Amino acid sequence: MSDEKKKALEAQIRAFVGKPVGPVVVGRDPVNEPMIRQWCDAMGETHPAYLDADAAKKTVHGEIVAPPTMLQAWVMEGWAMHEGYDEPKNEQHRLHKVLADNGYTGVLGTNTEENYTRYLRLGETVKALTVIDSISEEKATGVGIGYFITTKTTFENQDGEDLGSMSFRVLRFKPANAQAAASKEGESKATAQKPSRIKPPMGHDNGWWWEKVASDGVIPIQRCTSCQKLRHPPRPMCDACGSQGFDAIAASGRATVHTFTVIHYPQFPGYEYPIVSIIVDLEEGERMASTLVDCKPEDVSIGMAVEAVIHEDEDGFKIPFFRPAAR
Amino acid sequence: MQKTKKIDELEVGQELPPLDLPITATLVAGGALASRDYTPVHHDRDAANAQGLPDMFMNILTTQGLCSRYVTDWAGPDAIVTRVRTKLGGPNMPGDLLKIRGKVVSTEGKDADVEVSGNNAWGNHVTATFTLRLP
Amino acid sequence: MPTTLHNEAAVAGIGQTAYTKNSGVSELQLATEAVRKAIDDAGIQPSEVDGLVTYTMDSSDEVEVARTVGIGDMTFWSQVNYGGGAAVGLVAHAAMAVATGAAKNVVVYRALNGRSGQRMGQGVSGQIISSDLIHWSWYMPFGLLTPASWIALQARLYMHKYGATSEHLAHVAITQRMHAQKNPNAAMYGKPMTMDDYMKSRMICEPLRLFDCCQEDDGGCALLITTPERARDMKQTPAVIRGVTQASFEGQEQMTSFYRDDLAWLPEMELAAKRVYEMSGLGPKDMDAACLYDAFTPEVLMQLEAFGFCGRGEAKDFVTSESLTLGGALPNNTHGGLLSEAYLHGVNNLAEGVRLVRGESCNQPDKVDHVLVTSGVGVPTGAVIFGKD
Repeated sequence: MSDEKKKALEAQIRAFVGKPVGPVVVGRDPVNEPMIRQWCDAMGETHPAYLDADAAKKTVHGEIVAPPTMLQAWVMEGWAMHEGYDEPKNEQHRLHKVLADNGYTGVLGTNTEENYTRYLRLGETVKALTVIDSISEEKATGVGIGYFITTKTTFENQDGEDLGSMSFRVLRFKPANAQAAASKEGESKATAQKPSRIKPPMGHDNGWWWEKVASDGVIPIQRCTSCQKLRHPPRPMCDACGSQGFDAIAASGRATVHTFTVIHYPQFPGYEYPIVSIIVDLEEGERMASTLVDCKPEDVSIGMAVEAVIHEDEDGFKIPFFRPAAR
Repeated sequence: MQKTKKIDELEVGQELPPLDLPITATLVAGGALASRDYTPVHHDRDAANAQGLPDMFMNILTTQGLCSRYVTDWAGPDAIVTRVRTKLGGPNMPGDLLKIRGKVVSTEGKDADVEVSGNNAWGNHVTATFTLRLP
Repeated sequence: MPTTLHNEAAVAGIGQTAYTKNSGVSELQLATEAVRKAIDDAGIQPSEVDGLVTYTMDSSDEVEVARTVGIGDMTFWSQVNYGGGAAVGLVAHAAMAVATGAAKNVVVYRALNGRSGQRMGQGVSGQIISSDLIHWSWYMPFGLLTPASWIALQARLYMHKYGATSEHLAHVAITQRMHAQKNPNAAMYGKPMTMDDYMKSRMICEPLRLFDCCQEDDGGCALLITTPERARDMKQTPAVIRGVTQASFEGQEQMTSFYRDDLAWLPEMELAAKRVYEMSGLGPKDMDAACLYDAFTPEVLMQLEAFGFCGRGEAKDFVTSESLTLGGALPNNTHGGLLSEAYLHGVNNLAEGVRLVRGESCNQPDKVDHVLVTSGVGVPTGAVIFGKD
């Protein structure tokens, strides 16, 4: 996009800042027990103040109140939402359409912040006013370049009493890859698969190692059949004597942590974070990279004794991890 | 009735008991409809497929409702939620196991911030910081 | 035929694009803009260039660059492997070419859409089973997927062994951020940082916080290298190469040399130091400034030791005494470095080394006769000493 075109677009979208999305939305039903009960059923809520008038009296609330996170539910449109919309119905839709028409076809909710002034009581009617609060500079993100749009909603009851507020931030972006763009437009059917850890490619020099992990449930250590030198990670020639012959021994699994890191970001699909990553000294003298499990990140230390455990993923992939050694 | 925790019983870093929640189509659809959210991607697999996702996915209000329940189940009935800040991640769909974990990240006066994370096989689904006012 | 690269080549031109988060143009455009600017800076014509060197990771092929810029006949080209470890290698290859007559005027370049395009640290996988892919396979399944995670393992051990703390790492980051405040082309220009800001930045891979990690940027940077004789006839004060070497040490891997005895030490950098000091006849005390490769802050501490600016384990005291600032013993990354100017894979650090020798840095120390510039840490790497003619 040329600078001029971008300037024009930004002028157009910035004109939306400060505008109410539309008129004040008035809840279709006052705060009521059936809707609260339905919510609690779905959420598995057993909170006495939401469900039982007598028990509620013994709480700080003194009467039945609605779950706080239900606040927005009282002003949701309900059934009409299933129809979607071809023509924009309010200012928020219009803003999004301007961006979509300029190639920012992706949309992603990123953050919310709700402030609850107090819990809602039975019989109250909730009214909500939503304003387009801010639009960021154009940002480069993991999914593509785009604008963060923040809307702010204020909630009142029928008497104008403040009930709370909500900020909602969405990213409107140009999808970085064409497949994502196509799927946003509904052109491609579901292609996403449940992610799993990155698998090692199985080549001549490493495939046997992973197969042995899976079949024997041990950590193999490559051994030169000529001079008996151990080596890890495996390679096709002994760096001491030049022999290409090798077999493997099974490591005892006893090891100590040589160094470690706790990985927080970036987070890749198929892994659980934080990851306690370790380099261990195997009892046999070789070193290897692995993951420490069954250990809180704050409990790992250099020099700690660990033992191998073969982990199996949901998809059947087996990988050697370590856990703190049993005493 | 369960006793509500006092602020001085809390320590920064203290962890809440973990909750592993199997996600079903009923929960996703039930949560969406209980929050009066009839957007088709939350109850209709075909609509979700059209957006490139393999199945219908949980709406934000249901995620927040589940996290809220998780926090107050631990804190007790007199703990009042005054604020929730939510960072949204990947989708949560039928067949996923949502692993909910929480820990106390700060305390000030009678207020405590509890950070809740919900992870599934896709990675992080939600990170939410609940501010609780304790008696 | 020369048997050393001492005083056999010089940098006669430097060129760079704007460094941004979203260039909106191709990597070839960035590369050719930087190359053209380096040629213009030297004051010669594109047709006088007869050699090109870049990274194996670069997407802009030599002949594409040559055709676009109007470079005619070429008699030398090459590519250097190992990410940021290649930076000094480019200079070494070009110096060898001009010293031996393989080419007269060689431009070295690196351009990338490192933020808006393919970002670093997004994991490595692929379909063709190469030795490189098998190497990564010993780490990827375990979630060790990013440069930050690999460096963190080494940094943790270094800090454990020598008692270095986050505060020590912070000094490196804060000093370079301070330098960037005078560099309008730096990504962190206008964004000073306090110790508190640093400490509040989120953990990426313990002990590395966000501000221990370099930028991700779009941009291009290039240097024109020729013989000192020819350089003297060109437009700029030459930055003469007093010593240059590539260096890979026994047991070297790409980012994962975890199998050596001492992980709290950089033997390839020690090798590079020995070589460039011998070749140049200079020592650490002769260095008036440095651009030590700074993809991550702990790398700077470890290099200070490897290049003999302080003893082993003493870098933590060296960095706290403001030694890396403009008035200090070794002003380092006076442009902001990879941490605060831009991540141009180290070529921007080479350009700053040249500016320091010319007396043109945005943070110019009073006297600069010699500048040490290094390339990537944890990979096969190298070092160069630029000297005032």
